[in-house]
Amino acid sequence: MVELKNVSVKYPSGVEALKNVNLTINDGDFAFVVGSSGAGKSTLIKLILREIEATKGTVIVNGFNLSKLKRDKIPKLRRTIGVVFQDFRLIPNMTVYENIAFVLRVIDAPLKYIRKRVPYVISLVGLQHKVHSYPDELSGGEQQRVALARALVNDPQLIIADEPTGNIDPELSYEIVELLKGINNCGTTILMVTHEHDLVRHFGGRIISINSGSVVFDEIIGGNDEIK
Amino acid sequence: MRLNSVKYLFKQGTRNIAYNKLMAFASFCVLLVSLLLVGFSLLFYVNINLLVADIEAKNEVIVFLDEDTSDERINSINKSLKAMENIDTVVFYSKEEAFAHLKASMADSEVLFDSMGDDNPLVDSFKIRIKDINFTDETVSEIEKLDNILSIRAPLEFVDILTGLKRVISIISVSIIIALIIVSMVIISNTTKASVFARRKEISIMKYVGATNAFIRIPFFVEGMLTGILSGVAATLTTWFGYDALVRVLTQDNDILKIFGTGSLVPFKDLALSVAVSYMVAGAVLGAIGCVISTRKHLKV
Repeated sequence: MVELKNVSVKYPSGVEALKNVNLTINDGDFAFVVGSSGAGKSTLIKLILREIEATKGTVIVNGFNLSKLKRDKIPKLRRTIGVVFQDFRLIPNMTVYENIAFVLRVIDAPLKYIRKRVPYVISLVGLQHKVHSYPDELSGGEQQRVALARALVNDPQLIIADEPTGNIDPELSYEIVELLKGINNCGTTILMVTHEHDLVRHFGGRIISINSGSVVFDEIIGGNDEIK
Repeated sequence: MRLNSVKYLFKQGTRNIAYNKLMAFASFCVLLVSLLLVGFSLLFYVNINLLVADIEAKNEVIVFLDEDTSDERINSINKSLKAMENIDTVVFYSKEEAFAHLKASMADSEVLFDSMGDDNPLVDSFKIRIKDINFTDETVSEIEKLDNILSIRAPLEFVDILTGLKRVISIISVSIIIALIIVSMVIISNTTKASVFARRKEISIMKYVGATNAFIRIPFFVEGMLTGILSGVAATLTTWFGYDALVRVLTQDNDILKIFGTGSLVPFKDLALSVAVSYMVAGAVLGAIGCVISTRKHLKV
């Protein structure tokens, strides 16, 4: 669960990226966060990942009160969140298997579990045949699926997808969102930042629109796939 | 942390060297050059000290005794000299030995010695080696207080020059070594910073998936340490061949060292173990610390 109460973020440059934001994303939600460039979407993600701190207000993520969270506890928070970035951010000198297994290494998971869990997650994103490939040997869509597998391998409570379809072909974009929807159906909360309105219209669901640092729209709308 | 995880992190460290070959090679070269610069400076210092010690050892104080000093008194003076703190060795040199030596050294003047017959104009003496030449003055004063001392011949001016020379050499050598260490540290730090900067994205990804700082640093630590040890091994081999070649040139071909009044440099085999250990420990410490410190900035994600 993500809860923002009267949250404002002001950067040292004086730019006020978020202004008195109140937002609750419940467990099991699937929410699209939309908004133009500079609206405050990235700031929202940085805030949830505790990359930055709120200047004002309270942020609670998966039970962690971020304004009271000590620096050495940040890794613990991040282990409850899976992140998918627009530019994939895979470690280039690790294979598909190693990139995904790395998340489990970080939490000191037993080797037996890693050997069982990683192939399973790879099969979920349909990349069984690319297990030993390196990121630069994969297409954009495949890299994003690896990033997705990495995000869900440790069974996080929340997955944040920051423009996950921004660097891939439009037809693959639908595939990625379908995958996210599938993960969401299993109970994981998904927060997807995007500026692709076609995608949002197609899938529908909860739409949070941010403009100039404020939440200007937060409603559930029906998608085209539902209408069909 | 599970043993399996520790093994994994060490394996990652060694793999990183292979993956980041170019940067690892740059770090290796910088460490190697730094170790060699400091190492050769230290070897130079060790040899200069040996040279000075050699000259110091040749320094001799001669104590002449009064004519007709009794054997009993000679024994007593011998004991007193040996009891003095700053005296290393005491050798009695009888007037007969001295006369025979004089005759042998002046073989051309046989006529002169023949005219003297058995009349020996020389006196008994003691040849003394001083432990610390800095206190020659004090030791001479102490000897002068003994009875039956005719005179003392001590190279006080030479001692002054040697002591001054030693001090200057020490100051220059230590200053050069310190300067080289500082320059090396700066170069090493910049190289590791560049190496870590190239991998800042990798570090940020690790942070996003919840890796602790220690988890991220250990492979860097291992990588830096291994690069340092490899530099240490290479520095030892280079020093070994370089130093041996230098010793060969200076001792066999040109006899340059004889100009300085010494026969040889310290052989490498006498220093091999300490040189190898110092190089490897210094390499490992510098490499590891350099890598770990350089990651700090990028860990604030």
